Amino acid sequence: MKVIQCNNLTKKFGHAEVLKDLSFSIEQNKITGLIGRNGAGKTTLLKLIAGFTKPSSGEVEVFSEAPFNNLKISQNMIFIDDNMVLPQSLNLTETLEAVSQFYPNWDSALAKRLFEYFSFHPKQRHQNLSKGMKSTFNIIIGLAARCPLTIFDEPTTGMDAAIRKDFYRALLKDYLDHPRTVVLSSHLLSEIDELLEDVLLIKNGEKRLHMSVEELKQLAIGLSSKAEKIEELIRGKDVLYRKTVGVDSTYVVVENDFSEAEIQKMSANGIELSPVSSEDICVYLTNTTKGGIDDVFTRS
Amino acid sequence: MILNTDGSKPIYKQISEWLETEILSGNIRTDEKVYSQYQLAEMFNINPATAAKGLNLLADENIVYKKRGLGMFVSENAAKIILAKRKGQTLQRLVEELVRESRQLGVSEEEIVEMIRLENRKCKGEEK
Repeated sequence: MKVIQCNNLTKKFGHAEVLKDLSFSIEQNKITGLIGRNGAGKTTLLKLIAGFTKPSSGEVEVFSEAPFNNLKISQNMIFIDDNMVLPQSLNLTETLEAVSQFYPNWDSALAKRLFEYFSFHPKQRHQNLSKGMKSTFNIIIGLAARCPLTIFDEPTTGMDAAIRKDFYRALLKDYLDHPRTVVLSSHLLSEIDELLEDVLLIKNGEKRLHMSVEELKQLAIGLSSKAEKIEELIRGKDVLYRKTVGVDSTYVVVENDFSEAEIQKMSANGIELSPVSSEDICVYLTNTTKGGIDDVFTRS
Repeated sequence: MILNTDGSKPIYKQISEWLETEILSGNIRTDEKVYSQYQLAEMFNINPATAAKGLNLLADENIVYKKRGLGMFVSENAAKIILAKRKGQTLQRLVEELVRESRQLGVSEEEIVEMIRLENRKCKGEEK
């Protein structure tokens, strides 16, 4: 069953087209990572799915309905980000109590255990928490709500490494016990790629790729050897990344469409083959200029 | 086991190899149930779909068999299949490396064979 379906989805703010003709669907009970550079349109997309805003053209459907102004969707969906507006007059325990009213699957025992584990004080107020603690409190709401569609937009902003790890583990464990559709946007793909089933990569508001993490990891391969050997191999191929080290050693990243026999032949020819991490692939695929930051410092 | 996340080996492959080792060492015996994708996901902190892929790899090689609705179980010939596969893969790879390196160094075939014989004799001597 498809939980999210987008067809030719476009969103404009004034003259700026933030999402362009986006079509994809997300299956039920999968954890999908939404990956993209700053300003790629991740949050805009998630807010359309959550029904906070309306598409300029095209359509978005969640549980087969348009999410904008839709009570059924807001009851079955939760959107967690660092701009969540919570009542200022309530302390943290009262806030959890108030939020719990909105979600039929709310697990107050889980909320309480996470609250204690992360050492919150019941009388504290949300607006007085540090950035990382705010994010941590928000994910407690996101997990305990157990919504059939759970959206986390950059949930780990400001969290230290230990709490990020705890959050990923908590999300996985609760997902195993209570499978649901999760969409998670993040810059830190290397931290979450084992947690994810699929990756949706967007670039400048357009879909760049949508596939399983395992496929993504096999997508590209790094080759390094003497420049002339490399040039021969990559003729006619799309080079995702290139770096020259020393006099004539070259490292390139190309799409991995080599057969097993070709790979063996290459390593027999003294070409070093290396895997490319999913995070690096995404960086290369979303680079706007080839060469990257080094070009800024090259004065010719 | 700690998963190696540097990308040199896919996670699902590491899962299937870990299960193979568990079978070889007798921790999971013939006709016993192997861990489910959810148990593996919990143990190794990975997405259950990745764990399922590792299990399916073993099913494809007849190391485990599926019982509908019950899970995966160790086949009768599991250990034999694993051993045969590892011999074929690991040894073959080492031989390939040996041949490649010796060609680069200009070492003749006779010299290599002689080196292997010598090493073998040494090992036998140690066994006595």
